[in-house]
Amino acid sequence: MRTERYRGLAFCALVLVAGLAFAQDDTSVTHLLDSGGRMPLNTVVPVYPEKARRERVEGDVQVCFNVDHEGRTSRVRVRRSSNRIFERPAILAARASTYLPVPRDKILSGIKTCRTFRFRLLPVAIDKLDGSED
Amino acid sequence: MIGPSNPSLQEGATALLAGDAEEGVRLTLIGLSQAASVRERQTGWSNLCAGYVMLGRLETALDYCNRVIEQTDRNWRAYSNRALVYVKMQRFAEADADLVRAEALAPNARTLKAVRTMWRDAVEPVAPAIVIDDRRQPPADPDAD
Repeated sequence: MRTERYRGLAFCALVLVAGLAFAQDDTSVTHLLDSGGRMPLNTVVPVYPEKARRERVEGDVQVCFNVDHEGRTSRVRVRRSSNRIFERPAILAARASTYLPVPRDKILSGIKTCRTFRFRLLPVAIDKLDGSED
Repeated sequence: MIGPSNPSLQEGATALLAGDAEEGVRLTLIGLSQAASVRERQTGWSNLCAGYVMLGRLETALDYCNRVIEQTDRNWRAYSNRALVYVKMQRFAEADADLVRAEALAPNARTLKAVRTMWRDAVEPVAPAIVIDDRRQPPADPDAD
């Protein structure tokens, strides 16, 4: 079910794989964008909290922040969160991320940029080399 | 809690906690030979179970855990240690049964949670996946009511 939903989301949005950084080795990352707003330059992927992984906890955090002319983020705030355990990694990732700079003479809209991090745990199949399919 | 009446048992437990399985087992066996009560004997068996797991001698460990559990169904450490043995033997259903019993007795025990995590990672492995959604108006969640 979850996989199908992701497929649907990916279908209707541009998926970036470049410009992502800091993800754990075994973390798969999907970046969904639309055509409006500031364009990400370097997107830092939050670390999945080990405690949440151990206890099989998933969740979503939406953070909103300002982006200056140089593409730096500031005043990162949590707007929505399903579980506090994910808030700190989401804030840290948003703070460390950057966007493409815009000319100094361009007037910024003043509207905050928002980013939603969805922390998910995907069941993985382990090959036991015994030919079994379970 | 191990009483001061059996220092070998106590020192064995200390060695096991420090990760010195060989010394821990050696001292615990001495302490067990001097055990003056059922409680001390059960503690010794449970700790030997843990020590032999650390040494990789799973059948011996299982035997000592079984001795405790045959005498009492209130020793969460013995259930936890036996669950660990079963996880290492890939006997996951039996491990789960012991974990359920131990969790009922000591729901907040950290070592027990660690064994449960090992069981989960063996039986239901997961990989983190993070979706970064920068869309201004994400489509409605099809699973939402």
